[in-house]
Amino acid sequence: MANSVNISIEAPIENQIQEITYDGQEIYQAPLSMSENLARLAQKIDFSKSDDEFCNIKKEGESSTDPKPDEESKDAGYQSSLWPWESVRNKLRNALTEVCVLADVLNIAKEKRYMVLDPVQPEQVDNRPMVQVYGRKKALGAAAAVLLAGVERLRASENMRINRNMPDFHIDLLRLRQNWRLKKVSNTIVGDLSYRTAGSKFSQTGVFEVTKAPEDQMMQAMSLNAAGPAPSALRVTVPPELQGVAFISVLCQKEQEDVVTATLSSSALNCPGTLPGDGAELHWQQKLEAAQNVLFCKELFARLAAEAVQLDASIPHMVVGNQIMATVLPGIQLLIGLCHNNGQNNPNANPEGVKTEGAAGKSDHDHVLEHSLHQLLRAVHYANTHHPFPHPATGPLGPSKRRCLAGPMAADRYELLDMSKEQSLLEQIIQQAQHFFMRRRSEYVLDTIAKEVKDPLIVSHWNALNSPTQSCVKINIMAYGYDAVCRTSLVVHVGEKTLKCICRDGKVRHLSYELQELRDLIYCQIYQHQMTAVQAVGRCMGWQLLASSAHLGSGPVEPLGNAASCLLASPAPAGDRMIAIRCEPSVGIQVFIAQSPRKDFFSSELVQDKKWENLGGAFKEIKLDKMEGKNFLNKMELLMACLSSPS
Amino acid sequence: MGVTVLQQYPVPENKTGTYVIELLSKRILALGATQQGQFLVDCESYLSHPQMGTTKTVHILHNSEQPASVFSILESGTKNIHVIADGLFDLLMMKLSQHYTSKKQTKIESKGPRFELGDFCVKLGSVTMNQNFKGILVEVEYRPCVMANAVWGLLREFLQGLLGPTIPVQPPQHLLSRMNEIYTPIDTVYQYLEHFSAYRKVTGMRNA
Repeated sequence: MANSVNISIEAPIENQIQEITYDGQEIYQAPLSMSENLARLAQKIDFSKSDDEFCNIKKEGESSTDPKPDEESKDAGYQSSLWPWESVRNKLRNALTEVCVLADVLNIAKEKRYMVLDPVQPEQVDNRPMVQVYGRKKALGAAAAVLLAGVERLRASENMRINRNMPDFHIDLLRLRQNWRLKKVSNTIVGDLSYRTAGSKFSQTGVFEVTKAPEDQMMQAMSLNAAGPAPSALRVTVPPELQGVAFISVLCQKEQEDVVTATLSSSALNCPGTLPGDGAELHWQQKLEAAQNVLFCKELFARLAAEAVQLDASIPHMVVGNQIMATVLPGIQLLIGLCHNNGQNNPNANPEGVKTEGAAGKSDHDHVLEHSLHQLLRAVHYANTHHPFPHPATGPLGPSKRRCLAGPMAADRYELLDMSKEQSLLEQIIQQAQHFFMRRRSEYVLDTIAKEVKDPLIVSHWNALNSPTQSCVKINIMAYGYDAVCRTSLVVHVGEKTLKCICRDGKVRHLSYELQELRDLIYCQIYQHQMTAVQAVGRCMGWQLLASSAHLGSGPVEPLGNAASCLLASPAPAGDRMIAIRCEPSVGIQVFIAQSPRKDFFSSELVQDKKWENLGGAFKEIKLDKMEGKNFLNKMELLMACLSSPS
Repeated sequence: MGVTVLQQYPVPENKTGTYVIELLSKRILALGATQQGQFLVDCESYLSHPQMGTTKTVHILHNSEQPASVFSILESGTKNIHVIADGLFDLLMMKLSQHYTSKKQTKIESKGPRFELGDFCVKLGSVTMNQNFKGILVEVEYRPCVMANAVWGLLREFLQGLLGPTIPVQPPQHLLSRMNEIYTPIDTVYQYLEHFSAYRKVTGMRNA
């Protein structure tokens, strides 16, 4: 049995587990001793049951029963037994008394001297069958009438539903129940459409009532649109403050001269009139969804308004009526408004109605920011209901994971202060709006530069993945046909109010929201690129770099950056040609050439020997715009080729 | 969190603790420091019940610099074991009062003004045990550095300048073995515990 398997057999647990210690050991209760077990079992005996039977026997045997044993047994039940056999003893004693009495009675009856037992004729029940039959018939008839009436009503309503294609109330109620929270309060059905269960802490309630639609209205509705979907048998009543349509409008606009006109025109929130179709005819699902949306928008706006009042910004946020005004960047305002049209007042009754139409066209509603606002509030709701794990039973509920760890990690007061800061929704949405503007402006600047500057190509790649407050663009500067020779790339991180540019040389520049700075930086990069590129082309052509300087001290002062220059000499054996390039961001690129020693030498009175020609001669400027070539580098390549060819 | 050095400052004869605190405050304010509130470090010790075998001591310390934490150090013969927990640990100790009894009369604390001077943070604490003044402890923290070895020279020079040339400035006993390790808040707590234990042993004022 080489491959036998060991099977461990364990006796089943016969004893109850009293406790499990922390190391997993189980402590069993000691088994009961025989006497204890007997006492336990004896206590389980239901003496009252046998008592009852005994009483029944007694009833048959004796005409009268004495109530004493019953009372005694009751007393025994109430009394807490002093020792486990107390009740058993009492019961047995009672039983013994009963048995003795029975034995005496039997003895007396058996002797037949004192008593004779005669069979007793059972009492004749007075049964008149016809009366009973009539009584039963009447009772059954009444019950049947009730049932029939009910059936008749059900059948009538069912018939009506089938014949006239009426919807069923209960089926509709079932559907409603599947999607919404309902409860029955006395005789009415009440539902709740608030976001309480999803973590909202908004005080306003969202109670609605469900009733059965009157039949005549259903008929009317069905006759009106026979082709459309069947009207519901349900009627949902939402409170008047939740009726209609609401949405949060987010506008970004340039600040106008007069703040008052700004508020007036910005109140031009063109509300859509109502939902398609009139309020009464709406399907309950759409109606409830609309009401829920109204509630959500109200909560969002209430929260934002409270935050706007609490926050102390450098330029205070304004809350006027159902409008919040916040300054995003200098000259740009963010307007958040709550538009609620409850369908009761005519929108044209508003005197500003005409004015609003015109103003609404100017700055249109920002759907992305509106969506972000919704998302932010949903995130708040989610955080209210989802606490980070683990939550120990003794620990407080609510603090973030970082705060939970702050104690054991010995966080100091600065870290704790940092944790207690919480960004409000308004701050977050302002940051998103700021980023949105920064991104749009940077895009605009890069596009216009790419349009203006044709010679080095400027290619910008925007990262497709970005966060609501940060995005990243990579800018490549290169010349057509020479992208393998030299390319300059830089990365710009667009933040909320600042830009961070990481240049090719590893330098990091922080720029403000003034985008002229970005423009200047890109222009400087373009000219730097031209200088490095021409040097790279020179290397490829075998030219020698004699000198180069990125920051020339000579010449007029530049408004932005510094002039750069470089000096190239023709390939080694001859080496008699030179090209000097000077690049000023404000002027452009100038190219000069010189030759030394010149091929032809005529001695004069001042310069008598040819050796002086090696010192270098006068530079002559090249008219670049007259030269052949697609771009600057191409022209330089042609120029170098032309100069280095032996002539 | 940087490297912290705790230094005992002797109180001269027939002078009070408040006099010394004022003297040092004047000196540090003259250096250009600004006062940033108060600080408090307190220590309470619990003795284990004799029935649990050898008697062990648990020190519970709070430092106002880490307001959310409770530091506990268990002295068991040769080795000290520390646990850093959050505020609920105090409640746990109450529950354990059957096994660990608090020695109320040895509750000791150091409190006083807190100054900031550039990267330095200076705390002038007067040590009291049961409302009895016991001495002065000067805490100096250099915040940008976390390695004691790298900053000890600077801290010694600063302390010498602040406390005067008569006070000998030695690296704390606790730090000697940990000069090349990263400094953590519990190291500060150990230093306080060392000094507090020394204060408890002497009666009256400690001047050594």
